[in-house]
Parts: sequence; structure tokens; C-alpha cells
Amino acid sequence: MKINRSERNRVFVIFIIFFLWVIIIGASLVKIQVFDYNKNIAKVRAQSNRTFTMHPKRGTIYDSSGEVLAISVKAKSAFLSNKDKKDSLQLFNRILKLKKRFPLSKGDKKNIKNRIRKGDKFIWVKRKLSDKEYKLLKKIKATNKTHAILDFVEEYKRIYPQSSTACHILGGVGIDEQGLYGIEYGIDSTIRGKDGEAEVVLDARHKIFNLQYLTEPAAGKDIHLTINLAAQFFVERELEKAIKKHKAKGGAVVILDVSDGAIIAAASYPNYHPGNIKWSSNDRKRNRAISFLYHPGSTFKIISAATALESRVCSPRQTFDCHNGVYQVKDQVITDVHPHDTLTFEKIIVYSSNIGAAKIGERLGRKRLYEGIKKFGFGTRVGLPLTGEEKGIFNPLNKWTGVSAAFHSYGYEIAVTPLQMARAFNVIASGGYLLEPHVVKKIDGVFLKPKKRQKILSPSTVRQMAAIMMEVVNRGTGKATRIKGIQIAGKTGTTKKIGKSKGKYVSSFGGFFPANKPAITMFVMVDEPIGLYYGADVAAPLFKAIAKKMMIYLNIIPGLDKKNEIIGNIR
Amino acid sequence: MNRKTKTNTNTNRNAYYTNGKKGKLSKATTTGILILITFMVFILLFTYLSLNLKNIDFGYEMQRLISHERQLKEEIDKLKSDKAGLLNLARVEKKVIEELGYQYPDPDQFIRVIAAKEEKEGR
Repeated sequence: MKINRSERNRVFVIFIIFFLWVIIIGASLVKIQVFDYNKNIAKVRAQSNRTFTMHPKRGTIYDSSGEVLAISVKAKSAFLSNKDKKDSLQLFNRILKLKKRFPLSKGDKKNIKNRIRKGDKFIWVKRKLSDKEYKLLKKIKATNKTHAILDFVEEYKRIYPQSSTACHILGGVGIDEQGLYGIEYGIDSTIRGKDGEAEVVLDARHKIFNLQYLTEPAAGKDIHLTINLAAQFFVERELEKAIKKHKAKGGAVVILDVSDGAIIAAASYPNYHPGNIKWSSNDRKRNRAISFLYHPGSTFKIISAATALESRVCSPRQTFDCHNGVYQVKDQVITDVHPHDTLTFEKIIVYSSNIGAAKIGERLGRKRLYEGIKKFGFGTRVGLPLTGEEKGIFNPLNKWTGVSAAFHSYGYEIAVTPLQMARAFNVIASGGYLLEPHVVKKIDGVFLKPKKRQKILSPSTVRQMAAIMMEVVNRGTGKATRIKGIQIAGKTGTTKKIGKSKGKYVSSFGGFFPANKPAITMFVMVDEPIGLYYGADVAAPLFKAIAKKMMIYLNIIPGLDKKNEIIGNIR
Repeated sequence: MNRKTKTNTNTNRNAYYTNGKKGKLSKATTTGILILITFMVFILLFTYLSLNLKNIDFGYEMQRLISHERQLKEEIDKLKSDKAGLLNLARVEKKVIEELGYQYPDPDQFIRVIAAKEEKEGR
């Protein structure tokens, strides 16, 4: 087939037009992509790019065996977009009809209504809904025919699956996941992580098709505590039982691992649910294990006795005149509950003689006693990352009076916390080392370096003190703690309160077990028991009840006879 | 022989030129070249567009997978929290004692099983 000239020209013209069209398109593309690049990219970004802050997930808190104590999970928060006041009120009234299925406090209801009437555009209905609440509101949203908008945003919600167990250690967080109390506050910066900034590219349907981090969010670190959940649970329950039995105002128990000072359990009562921290009273939130200041009373005799033995100013067999129960020091009178004529150094502790202890203090002298008490760490904070830790009241030497040595030696003129007392008892249990109690074991899988331990008592002092403390349990005031098959070493304490609480008492007991190879140091304190108030009647039985449970935890079964042992092959 | 071959080559070369005039391409050649260029431009444009579309598709797919991963992580956290809640010691104890009728053993009811190896070592 031959193509004539005019046809060829026509094809050529069409081709030229087509070619020009392609060139124009190409040129336009070059203009858009190259010359107007910056202008266009800015336009695109303004239309489709969104920058927003990304809140990282708060770290999870575990106990020493990996049980979850606190975890953050995503939850929906409901809000009203108040475009029309009438419609918004109508919609909110539908929500209120859910009544108990969607509980809102009177204050919240009133506040939301006021804000709708005021014309606020964005109003939170309820934050961090439970699954049930979310389902209910979703139904309302689906059937909403008004102009008001009920919608949801996702937020993290802190869950405490063990309810009130270890509440004083954990503390709690606020509505924006900020630490408010306890470890949640103490290591908030570690556990919270750092906010990041991300830019997302949206398509015409506002669907994300690209996400870029401008600053990467740093996730909160997971924390492993030294607390053992099972031990903590039993301790808290026994403490609650004892407090209810003695109608006491409160109490605390601290249990330390003798080897490194790790806190295995630290309980305080009254307690609260960390998830309801907002509605808990300050008294419930108070961690008495670290913030309750009191005169330690007779439990403190351990410190003065150990200091006296260490300074070699006394020996266990040395005899002291105990003045038949009444002894005058300057203008003050010291009395004993059970009067004694004379007592040996050992028996002063075993029978808890105040006069004998005062005599030991006087023999030691102010300076030596002051230095000795200081060595045990009194007057300084343990330094736990928990809120409200008190350092106690321990006057400097220049403020000591003529009776200070006598009073200090049996636990008056000084105020301490149960944790400080546990640390002091642990010195004898650990063979003379002052170990810093700690509650954090691992951060993000990395074990924390143990603090340097300080040797403050010689082995002979430790041996003598342990023997005396065993006698306290076997023959003295601590008989109530005796458990068949295991030797406990300890000391009772009963403190008369002064000031507003005059006439009330603090009952305490500190000790460790098994005495021949200590594994656990424990200190219990019961504040203002009614009726019985002696350490031997209130604190010692509590110590025993907890010790029994702790022995199972340690695989030491009290009173186990040979007949209950089975030997076999375990594969 | 050599001369004849040379003449043939010249004839073939002249086929690209109009009327045998040197330096000017024939119209058919020009059209061919232009069609080829246009074709190439089309191919380039097509490749560019398809790559861009693929890129966008990958973007969507990646976002879908990232959000799926995030959802799974959240699910894991939720399950962890649910599991921990179910293992709440107070709850377990209540169920065991009240529903199953168990009770805490007395000290003499404990039986310690000692592994033979452990006993050999005198532990």
C-alpha cells in the first residue's frame, strides 16, 4: 500500500501535535517537580502531612519473679464535640441514662453539663474507659442522630492487676500517666520514657500511607523490683489481720534479704488501690514503712548493746545494778515494767530492762553512743526511690543533754522509721555489714550495681548479739515468736507515745531467721493497738505468723520431722 | 571483489538519505526516530508512574503491617494484664478456698521431697 504525500503530511501533523503534547506534559512535570519543587512540597505537606506528639508506653513493673505489678494498656477515652448545645445536652442525657453501667461522679456530671452550656467545643466525657463502658458508648454513638458528636481517642491506661498488693511500693499515676506516688513517682523519668514527634502523610481519604519519626519516642523502661509478690501478699494480709484484731491505727512490716539488703516485702496498712489513687485519703496513701516516725523503744537496745560490745566497754556476763525498777538520771526517772535488782548485760536485753540499757548507755558515754548510732545509719535516709521517706530525728551531739545517752540507749530522744530499724537489725543478721536496702532489681533487664557494703561490727560482736537475741526469743520477751524447728533471733519493743497521742503505744518486733544461717530480716510495727499493747503481745505474734509463711517461701518448713521427708529421683 | 562489496555498502547507506543527498535523513527515518523517542518517553513516563504507584502501595502495605504489629503488641499487653489479673493472689486464694474447698496445710502436713542427688550431697 502506497501512502500519498497529503496523507503523510496529515500523519506528520498529528505526530507533531502529539509530540508537542508530550513535550508540554514533560515540561510541566519538570516545572512541577524541579522548578516549583519547594513551593509544591510545602503545599502538599500542608495538605497531607500531619505532625503529632507520640506518647511512649509507660514501662511495666514486675516483681522479682516476673509477675506483672503494673502495666499500661491502650484504652479509649470518650469526648463530646459540642457543636450544638441543645444536641450535646440531649446526647449527654442519653449517656446519663446508663446510670450504674456508666458511673460518673456527681461533680463530673455537673461539670460536663456546665461546660456544654458554656459552649466549650471539646469536652471529656470520661477518660480511660473500661471495655464494657466503651461498648455502651459505642452503641450510643452508632445510634446518635443529633448534631453533637460523641467520639473516642486512644490513651494508655495504667492497670494494677494485683489490686492493693504492694500499693505503697507502686504508688500510682495521674490521669496523664504521670507518676504521683511510690516507685511510679520515684523513677518516673526512667519508667515514663520520652515523647517523640512523628510526621504522617495522608492520602485524599486521610488514610496514613507513610509515617516518619522526627524525633523517635523513647519507650519507658521495664522495671523489675526486688519485691516478691507472694511474700508481699501474705505479709499484707497478716498485717491487716493483726491490725484489725488489735483495733490499731496502722502498721508496717519490712522484710529484707540478709545477703544484699533487697526488700522482699514492705507492707503498710491502711492501704489503697493504686488504680483509685485519686479517691484515696492521704492516710491510706502514707507508706508507714518509710515515713512513720516513732521512738523505737526497746528494739533500739540492740543498737546500744552492739555498740557497747563493739567498743569493748561491756561484756555479756557483766552485771549492772537495775535499782529495783526505778532509776533517777538528773531530773528524769527511768522505770522498768518488771523490776530487777541486778542483771547481766545479756539479761538486760533478754528481759528488756530500760534501767539496764540506760546504764549501758551511760557506760558507753555520749560520744561513743552517738558514733555507734550514726554507724547504723540513723538520721539518714535509706534513699529508696519512693515518696515520703523520712530520715528520722537524730539530734547532733551538741544538742544532747545530760540524760541523752541514757534515753537514746533504750530508744527515746530519737525518731526512726521501720525501714531504718530493719536495716539496723540486718547489720547483725548479715555478719556486721550495713547494707543499703533497695527495691529496684533490674531496669530494662540490666541488673543494678549493688552499693558498697560497709562493715560496722566485728564477727565477735555479731556472734554475741545473735546469741543474746536468740535468748530473747527462747527465754525473754520474744517467746511469742518461737516456731518449732527453727531458731529466731529478735527483740521486742513497746513505745509510749507523747504529745497528742499521749497514753497510746507503738508495738514492734525486729529479728532474723534462721538464726544460725540468717536469710531473712524482718521488722514489724503496729501503731496504737487497743487493749494489749506490748511488743510481746501484739508485734511478736504478727512476726511469727509472717515468719511461718516466709519459711515456706524459703523452702524451710517449720516443725518438719524426718518422717515427712521422701527421698526420690526427680527427673 | 573488494570493490563490488564497497559499492553495495554505499548503496545501503544511501537508503537512509533522501534522494541520495548526503547530510539529510529521509522522512521515513525521521518519523521512525521520532516514534522511537516518543515510545521511549512513554516507557519512561509509564515506568515512573508505575514505580510511584508501587511505592504508594508499599507505603500503605507497610503502614498496615506496622499498625498490625502495634495492635498485636497492644493485644499482648492486654492479655498480659488480663493474665496477671486472673492470677491475682487474693482472687486465686478465694476461689481455691471457697469454691474448691482447699485449706492451708498444717506444718505437719508438709512433705518434703528430697532428690536422691541432693541427699547424696548431704543437703
